[in-house]
Parts: sequence; structure tokens; C-alpha cells
Amino acid sequence: MNKTRKIEMTVELVRILVAVAIAYVIALVTLFLISDDPIYIIQQFVLGPFSSVRRVGSIINLAIPFTFTGLCFCFMYAVNKFNLSGEGIFMFSGCIVTLVAINLGEGLPFPLMILVLLIVGAVVGVVVTAIPAFLDAKFNSNIVVVSLMLNSILVFLSIWVLKYQMRDPSIGSMGSYPLPDNAVLPNIFGKFRIQAGLFIAIIAVIAVAILFYKMVFGYKMRVVGSNPLFAKACGINMVGTIVIAQLIGGALAGMGGACEILGNYDRYKWVASTQHGFDGLMVAVLARRNPILVPVAALLLAYIRIGADVVNSRGDIPIEFITVIQGIVILLVAAEEFMGRFKKNMIYKAAAEGLDKDKKEEVKELMSEDGEGKEQ
Amino acid sequence: MAQEVLRMEGITKIYDNGFVANKNVTFWLNEGEILALVGENGAGKTTLMKVLFGLEAPQSGQVTMNGAPVKILNTLDAIGKGIGMVHQHFMLVPSLTVAENVVLGIEPMKNGLFDFDTAVSMTQEVADKYNFNIDPKMKVADLSVGQMQKVEIMKVLIKGAKIIIMDEPTAVLTPQETDELFEQLILLRDSGHSIIFISHKLEEVKRICSRVTVLRHGYCLGSYDLADMNESDISRLMVGRDVVLKIEKEAPNIGKPVVHIKNLVKINEAGKHVLDDISFDIHEGEVVGIAGVEGNGQSDLSDVLSGMSGFSSGTVEVNGNDIKGKTVHDIRGMGMAYIPEDRMEYGCAGDMSIRDNIMADRFFKKEYKSGPFMKKKYIDDLVDQYIKDFEIACDDKSQPVRMLSGGNIQKVVVAREFTSGSNFILANQPTRGIDVGAAEMIRKTIVKKSREEGTATLLISADLNEVLECSDRLLVFRKGKVVAAFPKANEVSEAELGEYMLGLKTMTAEEMEGLL
Amino acid sequence: MFTLDWFANFGFSVFRLSTPLIFAALAAVINKKAGMLNMALEGMMLSAALGGVVFAGATNNVWIGLVGAVVIGVIVGWVIAFANISGQTDLYLTCIAVNLAATGGTVFAMFLLTGEKATTSAAIKAYTLPSITIPLIDKIPLIGPMVSGHNVLTYFSFISIFLVWFFLYKTRLGLRMRAVGENPQAASSVGINVKKIGYISFLIAGVLCGFGGAFMSMGWVSFFMKNMINGRGYIGLSAMNIAEGNPIGSGIAAVFFGFSDALATTLKSQGGTFPTEFLDMIPYAATIIALVVISSIRMSHLKKIQRGGK
Repeated sequence: MNKTRKIEMTVELVRILVAVAIAYVIALVTLFLISDDPIYIIQQFVLGPFSSVRRVGSIINLAIPFTFTGLCFCFMYAVNKFNLSGEGIFMFSGCIVTLVAINLGEGLPFPLMILVLLIVGAVVGVVVTAIPAFLDAKFNSNIVVVSLMLNSILVFLSIWVLKYQMRDPSIGSMGSYPLPDNAVLPNIFGKFRIQAGLFIAIIAVIAVAILFYKMVFGYKMRVVGSNPLFAKACGINMVGTIVIAQLIGGALAGMGGACEILGNYDRYKWVASTQHGFDGLMVAVLARRNPILVPVAALLLAYIRIGADVVNSRGDIPIEFITVIQGIVILLVAAEEFMGRFKKNMIYKAAAEGLDKDKKEEVKELMSEDGEGKEQ
Repeated sequence: MAQEVLRMEGITKIYDNGFVANKNVTFWLNEGEILALVGENGAGKTTLMKVLFGLEAPQSGQVTMNGAPVKILNTLDAIGKGIGMVHQHFMLVPSLTVAENVVLGIEPMKNGLFDFDTAVSMTQEVADKYNFNIDPKMKVADLSVGQMQKVEIMKVLIKGAKIIIMDEPTAVLTPQETDELFEQLILLRDSGHSIIFISHKLEEVKRICSRVTVLRHGYCLGSYDLADMNESDISRLMVGRDVVLKIEKEAPNIGKPVVHIKNLVKINEAGKHVLDDISFDIHEGEVVGIAGVEGNGQSDLSDVLSGMSGFSSGTVEVNGNDIKGKTVHDIRGMGMAYIPEDRMEYGCAGDMSIRDNIMADRFFKKEYKSGPFMKKKYIDDLVDQYIKDFEIACDDKSQPVRMLSGGNIQKVVVAREFTSGSNFILANQPTRGIDVGAAEMIRKTIVKKSREEGTATLLISADLNEVLECSDRLLVFRKGKVVAAFPKANEVSEAELGEYMLGLKTMTAEEMEGLL
Repeated sequence: MFTLDWFANFGFSVFRLSTPLIFAALAAVINKKAGMLNMALEGMMLSAALGGVVFAGATNNVWIGLVGAVVIGVIVGWVIAFANISGQTDLYLTCIAVNLAATGGTVFAMFLLTGEKATTSAAIKAYTLPSITIPLIDKIPLIGPMVSGHNVLTYFSFISIFLVWFFLYKTRLGLRMRAVGENPQAASSVGINVKKIGYISFLIAGVLCGFGGAFMSMGWVSFFMKNMINGRGYIGLSAMNIAEGNPIGSGIAAVFFGFSDALATTLKSQGGTFPTEFLDMIPYAATIIALVVISSIRMSHLKKIQRGGK
């Protein structure tokens, strides 16, 4: 049995690495096939993200929102709820945080202002996720459908807020009034130009990891996610745990939206969904719902994204092809049967070896006990 | 000697989790015989038959039929070769009619469409031929368990099966229904069918089978003529030692009532009274057993007492607290421990460790946590102790429960529930489907706890031997009512019990006076 | 404002906007009856919508475009079936992945073929499937302009409701599919190939989504544009959900959602000072509200039984 366990863990790790590798190779082949200058484009895709300090900084900068939404989906995933509202929350929270920041103006000193705005973002996340979470718990309404419908509503709501509540008429494009200086997260590490939201993300990862594996609530959540009926039979408040886990997830997505706006923008100008929610879903899938692995998966996705960005600007190849690659990765990682045969064969082999060993003794033992009437 | 119609040679089957279910098993079947295939739970009987029926692919082995080697890759192959299987859990589609279920897979067609009328007449034909009294147009959801089994047998017969595998067919039947089934099996045998009869019930095996093949721990221990064997011979082969049917126990030292049930009524989603005016008490220091054909309200009672579901009216008190509207958590807090019926579904989280499974009912208590954090060291030591006390065979406490054997998983469940400090244990089918060693340990512990710690126990079990031996007082459930009560369970005969379970007899309120 | 013409136009709009929802709902019904919740209707329709425009443009034949849309729908259905049934992937994740891939993949494919990233309207010649005027009926006031003159696929969507019902309840495959959906072990024990039925259900869903997608890009408008399905797949799924998989009921629910979509569109076109963003929300909000209302009615009904009316 111990062997079986080791095999399972090894195969799991190999599986994820192979899945990512396959998807990456598909990306390279696609680029090779469609580009006029394939060698240059592939070089740009693979090495481009590391070609300047600024770009390395962008990888890390992009990994920050992925980390927040990835953590958000770790919570959804832990309680087995495909609450996809993280997508809408990210955008809406950015919008509301900007609105609050503009209205607060220079009133609050810098660190306090950031803290207040982060809390606003988190609260927006909690309030929004509460809707699908509550409707699912109370009315058993399909959570995927409700959360996706809600995302569409939030997009329009955000646009309305932007248009009618904070639009800066002095600029040509659609955009809000600029954020006050005390609400801007500074860049750090000089030339890397990494936003200070990095620290907030790191703190969030550590806090979530502790919550998952050291705290009572994390334990409760894992029991509920692993077998809800068992959790019920043990007297664990299932509905409460499921809802609270989702609310925490929503808060993280909301903080992610706040960090993104305060760290990377001088004013709010999103008029379409950011897709960071679905990126977070992929990050959580890649990290196998383990919060500690979320930053790793986020960096990987960010690297591929920046590569696509470079290719997009240099070679006019649309960045959208990356979402296809993302879909493939999710499918491969989630496919139980992918490399399943490999795993099974290893288990059979181990079991057969064990069988050979104890078979002779066991048969001998059994036969001697009831030696009397062998087959007729 | 009779003609051999089937031979399975050297079958080895290893499951994906590494469990070896059949080890080089050889098995044969003669024409026109009823062969018993016996063995403990987990001995590999069902797996062997699944291999024969094409549901599982063995790693090695060869099947021959009428002397010629055959390959059975899927159920279609098996059906085509005249093999039919009546599964332990019915393979029926409840929303479809009897006729639709019977012809599924060989549906009659007219003008390219499904021909329901022909399906009905085909079904009626089989029913008439083999003397099944059933209406082909009824919905399967509306049938009784015995009737459902008839539909299962008709499904096999209509496809022209000559070899019929019956996997524990009597497990869900009443004795009367069993008699009826046996008559039909004999009729089938006499008309040239060969039947493989899987059962735990040795007296049934003696009654209708001529030969027995014994499996133990995946090995085949050979085939024997039943004329030369008595029941204890078979049982010794099956379990390798004489089964201890008696549990030694002193008279109970009965104290104050722990559980008080008064006029309990539960109406289910279909509007049926599944618990109909039930009243009884469970006292300190006694084990109250509940017998009954499955599906007569026992599970519903267990759900109500554990808080898994609510009830419609009446009162239920645990240690003086009303449980109306209370959650499982609340009721556990009142002193209840709960061994659920289905251990994989309700009793454990398969992917979680032994340690996490044992903590699930108590992690919130003060001694296991400091602030919002769990006390790892303290919990680890405690779980190690439980693994030792309950003899759980495992690598260590962090091994996922799903990797353990059925008996050891149940020991994890029991280790949790028996150490929860409760004075009321609700044990629903506590030993179902586990090996004899683990079952014996669990039964003895139930009795021991009642005697030494004064625990009040409610034991619900389909295993008559278990309820008769472990219980002090015994109640019989039928159609959601208590129809009989006996002061001393071990003095009740199975035959007498059967009559109450089947509704041939019912005790009056006066007769049960003082026993509830 | 509320003239006879207004009502006639509005009614016309309801039927028109119900079309893709009906196809999506029926596709969901087929999958549901085979025991699966298909949340990738969105991606299937989106891919089919692009496929239709591309095939029609390439062959200068709108009917080949329709076939192309169906073929693409079927291919995407096959991918989901392959991942879920043969690859044992979680169905939710598979569908989310397919929707994700379709959103980007259609834009990517559009760019490769036309060099455009937003719509094909400039690059590919516009084709629409023909509309049909129903003789006699089109003369009836109010009713005539409402039900006559629709795109051929609109009529076909309503016929499909009946076809799906007939398939499920009158054919052998339909019977087997219902058996598989309700008790796969039982079906497999009598030799029915459960995996094959699962594949077939996704292929049929692919055909229906193909029609739905084709309607969007070759009926509703005459070009493909980025993300043009805009949640209609999910709304169709909700329609199925509300009717618990009954094809007729799902069709009716789809028309109800078509009504809310038409309401939003009509109000928007009338201008006024009311912010259009809120009108845009109507179909999505209506979906959520309908889901909640229906399930709360069902729940209170259940509770009533359990409380016990003796």
C-alpha cells in the first residue's frame, strides 16, 4: 500500500509537468506554423520575457493578480463550488476602489489610505460572492450559471459607474479621474518596476497557507470539500463552511482587483472584463488547489503571457491564442486518464511483485489448514 | 458426471488501487446444476463473477465454455455467449416500465422506432413461461423489492441466458420471497439452466445447491460436493476457523433512560409515512437491537436520531434535550455518537488521512486547539494511541483512508465514534461488508462499552445473528412501526422473528407493554 | 409608443431572440437526459458561429455555411466527450476550459483567416439564411407580422422542440439514452455502450449548437464578432434546468428568456435617458431570478409534503 501511495504522488507531479510541457510545445508549434519568421517569433516567445529587466518585472507584476485570483479559486475549489464570480469581482472591485479613492481624495495619509482601499476591495468581493454562494446554499441554484450571469451584470455595472460617477471628461478615452497620489502603490526594486502589491500578495499566500493547513477553519473546509456527506454526519456546519470559504475567496479576488488598480494604473479605465478570474482558475488547477504552489503557477502563467505579449507587439500575432493553450493545460491537468495507464501499470507491477513473494507462503499455509478434501 | 459448461482457469485480478481480488482462481460449472460460490465479504466472489460477465478485465487467466476457449471482453460478449447476471444491487431504471427495463439492450423495433407494444407482449411471454406474476406496464419505481428481483431475472431470461449468476439474491428478500425465488431457481435448473448462486447464508446453500466452491482472501480453496459437507464444514473453509456465534455477555445493568422517543412520525418526500408513531426508550447500560427487513424505517430512524434529517411530529429526547430542529452537531453535543450505515459515503473522507478522519467530530473542542490553530502534537499522539487500541492496520496516521481495507476503514470510524465520550451510540449496520475479525472486535466493543461504561446503544442491523447476539432488548420494525418487542434478544428464534418481520404476526400494544 | 406595430415588432423580436436559446436549451436537454450537465454550450455555439461564416464565405453558399457550423459544433462536442468520457476529466472543468479556449480560439482563428480581431464583417462577404413568409398567416394583423417572415432557423428551432421530444421518447436510442442518464450501471449491464451513448449525446448537442451558432452569425446578424454568443449558452442551460430536462418545458422557458432579451433590446432601441447599461443587464438578471424563483417554488412544495398533509 505504501508503494501505491508513492506511485500516486510521483505520477501526479510528472503528470502536471508533462501537461504544461505539452501545452507549451503546442504553443511553439502553432507559432512556428503561422509565423512568417518562425525562428525569430519563437525566440521572442521563449526568451522575450527575459530580454529586459523591465519585462522580468512585468512577469512578476502580472503574477500578482494571478496569485490573488488563484488563491480565490483555491477556496472555491476546496469546497467544490465552481463559483466563478472572481472574474466579475476583480473588475468591479477595481472600479469601486477607484471611486472610493477619488472621493476620499487626499484626506487620509498614504499607508492608511491603502489599507482602507484594500478593505473596500475585500468587502466588495465578499458582498458580490455572497450572491451566488447564498443562492446556491439556499435555493440550490446552479452556481456556475448564477456566477457567470452575475459577472455579466457586474461588467455593465462597472461601466455605468465609470461613465456616470467618475468619468474624467478632460481625457479623450473613457477613463476615471486620476487616483490621488496617496492611493498609489509605489514601484519597488528600481528598474524592475515591480509594484508594491507584491508584498500584499506574498502575505496573502502565507496567510492562506496557514489557514488551509494549520487552522481549524481550514481543516473544516477540507473535510467539507473532501466528502460533504461525511462532514454532515460528523456535525460540521456544512452550509456555513461552504459559504464562508467562498466569501474569503471573494475577498481575495477583491483585494486582487484593488492591488491591480492601485499598483499598475493611474486611473480606472477597464470597459471589459479582465479575464483574470479565469486565469486564476487555471492557476488553481495547476497548483492542484494547494495555496503554497499558487505563486509558482502564477509565475508560469505570467511568463507565458508576457511571451505572448512580446510576440503580439513584435509579430502581430494575437494574444488570444494563449487562452487556447490555457484551455489545453486545464484539460490535461484535470484528465484523470492522462498518463493514468502509466500509473496503473506501475501499481500492477508493484502489487504483482508483492504477490509473488507472499503467494507461496500463503498458499502453503492455507492448504495445510484444510488439507482434507481437496477438489473432488 | 454431468457435462461441464464453463471453466475459468488461473484468473488473477488486480484493481487500480493495488488490491489483489482474485489470485490464480480456477472454477468450473456443470450443466443443470446450482453451484454455490461462497466466501467471506472481500474474498473475491463478486470480482470473479464480474470477470466472467465482462465487467472487469483480469490480468491473467482463461475462460472456456463447452470445452472451447472464449474471450469475454465486455458484457455484450457475455450476454451473447448465454451468460446472465442478476446483480446484488438492482440494475434497473426506476422511471421506465417493467417492459422497457426487460427489453433494454434488445429492444423490439417497428418502422425504425421503439415498439412498446411488442416489448410488453415479449415481457408477458417470459413472465407466463416462468411463472412470474408481474404487470409489464408498471413503472419499476412502484414495485416491491421482490418484484424488482423478478424483473432482473426476466431481463436475463429474455436474452436466452443458459448460465445465470445470482449475486447474493436473497440479501434483500423476506423469507417468503426467498422461498418463491428458490422454487423459480429449481424450475430454471430443471429446464436446463446452470446457476451460480453467491451467498453468505449457508442454510440456503445447503437447501438448493449441489456443489460448493469456496474462496478465501482471493484464493480458491476448491470445490466440494455438498452431500459430503455440513454447514460448519463450509463455514470453517470460508473463514478458516469456527465462527463464534455466541457473544459472552453479562446481564445488563440498566439505568435511567438516555434516549426517549415518543409518537415519532416522519413523512418522506413522496408523502409516505416512513416512521409511523414510534415510541420507545433506550436506557443506560443496555443494547437495544432493531430487526426488520431493510427499508422498513430503520434507516429513517437512524437519520432522525443522528440529526441527518428532520421529522414530522412527536418528540425525541437525548439525555433530556429535545432534538427537534437540532443539527447533527447539536445532537452530538448532547451525547450521541453515530456509526453510519454507509461508511464510504457518510463514515469517512476517503482522500483524507486517518488522523483527519478521526478528528472530524471533535476538532472544535478546546483540548484540540489553541486559538484558531489546531494542536498538532497533541492530536498526533492521540491518534497514534487509537491506531494501537483499535488495531488499525496501516502505514501511519497520515495514510489516506481510501487505501485501507474495508474492515480497517470501519475501525477508523469506530475508533472515532467509540472515543467521543458519548453515552449514546447509534450503530447502523456497524459490521456490514467487513472481515470477521474486525466485525467480532466491533461487536465485542459495543457490548463491553454498555457493560463497563453504561453506554446506551441502538443497534440497527440486517444481520440477524448480530442483532440477536449483541442486543439485550430487541424491537422489530415493519412499515415504520414497532410490531414486536422482546425482552431478551438471545432467546428469540430466527423463525419467530421472521414472522414478525414479514407481518405474519404483530404484537398488540398490551403485549409490548413495558418493553418499549 | 405602444401601438399595434410596436407589439407586432416586439413579438417578432421575442421569437427571433428565442431561437438561439431554444437550440441551446435543447442541446442541454439531450446531455441532461444522458446524465450530463453541459456547460460548454457557449463555446460550442461560438465556434459554430464562426465556422458558419467562414464556410459560407469560402464556398459562397449559405447552406454549406450552415453545414459547416454544424460540423464545427459537432467537433467541439466531440472534444468535450473525449475529454470527459475517455479522459475522465471533471465535466465542469472541461466545459470551462472549452469555453475559455473557444473565446480566444475564435478570435485567433478569425485573425489567421481575415487579419481582423473584432468582426468578420469587412473581410468575409455577408450571408444570411433565408427568411420565410408564411402565406395567409402573414395577412393576419398583429399575429402575421409576429410569426411570419422569420429566419428559417427560427421555425426550425420550434420544430426541434418536437423532434427532440420524439427522439427521446419514441426511438430506441432515446430510450437507451434515458436509461444511461438515470442508471448507467443498469444500461451497461445489458450491454448498452454507455460511453458511446455519452458521445452521441454530445454530438447531437453539437448539431443543435451548430444551428444555434449559425443563427447568430447568419441570421441574427450576417457576420461573426468576438464573443457574440454573450452568455446565451448559459441562459439556454438555465432554461433546461428550470424545466428539469423536459424538452417541451425547456422550450417554453427558452422563449421566456427570449422575451426578456427582446425587452432589453426594444427598450434600448427606443432611446430615452435611462442608462442602457441597466437595460443590458435584464437578460442576465432575469436568468438569475427565474432560477431562484423556480427552485424556491420546488423547495416549498417539497417542504409542504414533508410537513405532512395527512
